[in-house]
Amino acid sequence: MFTQKCKQLVLALFAVLIWALGSSTAAFAVEPPLDQAQVEQGLLQQQQKAIAAEQQQMQLLQANPQAETADLWRGVREGETGFTHSQAFEADRLINAFGNDGRLMRNKYVVPALAIAVVGVFGLFLLFYLINGSAKLSHGFSGKLVRRWTSVDLWLHWAMAVTFIAMMFTGLTIMLGRYLLEPYVSSDIWAPLIYGGKTIHDWTGPIFIVFWAMSILKWMPVQTFKSHDLKWFLLVGGYINFGPFKGKHPDSGFANAGEKMWFWTLAIFGLTISITGILLVLPDLELTRETSMLGLLIHGGSAVILIGFTIVHIWMATVLSEGGLESMASGYCDENWAVQHHNLWYDEIKANGSLEYKD
Amino acid sequence: MAVMKFLCDTKRCIECNGCVTACSNANSEALVWGLQRRRVVTLKDGEPGEASISVACMHCSDAPCMAVCPANCFYRTDEDVVLHNKETCIGCGYCFYACPFGAPQFPKKTSFGARGKMDKCTYCSGGPEPDFSEKEQRLYGANRIAQGKLPLCAEMCSTKALLAGDATVISNIFRARVAARSNPNSIWGYIPETGSDSN
Repeated sequence: MFTQKCKQLVLALFAVLIWALGSSTAAFAVEPPLDQAQVEQGLLQQQQKAIAAEQQQMQLLQANPQAETADLWRGVREGETGFTHSQAFEADRLINAFGNDGRLMRNKYVVPALAIAVVGVFGLFLLFYLINGSAKLSHGFSGKLVRRWTSVDLWLHWAMAVTFIAMMFTGLTIMLGRYLLEPYVSSDIWAPLIYGGKTIHDWTGPIFIVFWAMSILKWMPVQTFKSHDLKWFLLVGGYINFGPFKGKHPDSGFANAGEKMWFWTLAIFGLTISITGILLVLPDLELTRETSMLGLLIHGGSAVILIGFTIVHIWMATVLSEGGLESMASGYCDENWAVQHHNLWYDEIKANGSLEYKD
Repeated sequence: MAVMKFLCDTKRCIECNGCVTACSNANSEALVWGLQRRRVVTLKDGEPGEASISVACMHCSDAPCMAVCPANCFYRTDEDVVLHNKETCIGCGYCFYACPFGAPQFPKKTSFGARGKMDKCTYCSGGPEPDFSEKEQRLYGANRIAQGKLPLCAEMCSTKALLAGDATVISNIFRARVAARSNPNSIWGYIPETGSDSN
């Protein structure tokens, strides 16, 4: 009984299947079948076309057999990529000459520029100091000290300064050490020196970036340029002690125009040097050689500007402005210094009552 | 002295990667797992005009790595081979940026993936350490040149596509090959009847 039913079911299924097959064939068989001779004619034409193309290629090759090889090497030179089993980054590219152009730029311009920035800026300021002398306080020290920086400002400044100086000296060793140090010391000294320099440079960088970012954000509000800043530039800040400039004290707020220029230089080139530094120090980012080499050039160029300006900053603060350094040492400046160098700021804090004397 | 070079004949290279294996075998003690000093690149793979090229350090006469290195760890041997001192190398990666052939390789250290000491093809001629010393083998691998042999990659090349040796000698071999497999005008200025290239 059961088998009987199964047989019937199977038969019914077959019937449905045959019907479906028949109807689908009917649906697809719209085009009439081609004549056998016609099919062969078409295939022959295709074959003849392929043979003609091949012959043409052969003739071209015979006329100029090196053309193919020339094209191959031209492609290689232009950086064509292929297949390789190597798992190394960019291993599929045979030639990438960008980095070589970059190192030519670096050795020809960036390295000498750094040497010139260090020696040139220092030399110019020494010369200026010897000819012109420093900016003395015209009424001497008053003995009354006015609060200029908070303890947070002092911490930020000196933390940034210490890390920057560490970065600067190790960076100078990396850029110029090969030319100025390595020929004169034994390899037993040179190898640990350059390796230590590189290691300090790598690990101090992130600390510098943190203090740099906090300083820039904290000090930005008082560093915007005002109209009196232009006049400050025209009078060279009142630092020149002869001719028509003698005895002039241009207006200036909390920061004078020169300090603002230093601030914005540090903000802009500090940003470029920080970003490129991060790119260079983390190989896991797997950047192309183009990006890496460009980063290296921008890093070096930013260093040239920052180091040059740092030398200016140190000269101004220590030697060229009498009474200048103590404000960053203690947080307080002399009242006469405030009146002479930052009159608008002094008037403002006196007017709004935020002037704070040291006990 | 000789000017040692590599030359890869693209019409002979069959992408067997035998040179890569030979290199890794000869220099196994110096190579960190995952690094290889030589690689084979196949251009137009599976298309007309397919060509394979084996490439490693080319020991350039005007080596960019040597010029850019801030530690000045590179030097040139009497055979014009570009070598470097791993004890002076600081792992900055500048040579990798500057090298057109991607020859310098860096083992990864653990902290932030920082680069270790650079490794590259030594033309199987060791390093600055005394020849055949344990330290030389550990840092740089084989020193076949001191044994009077050529680099193992070229020696083991099954089709003799990869040639190593003095530049004049191997370029003459290659020139003769091109002349033999092509028509006389195929090499500019070369006349196979007289064997002269100066006309």
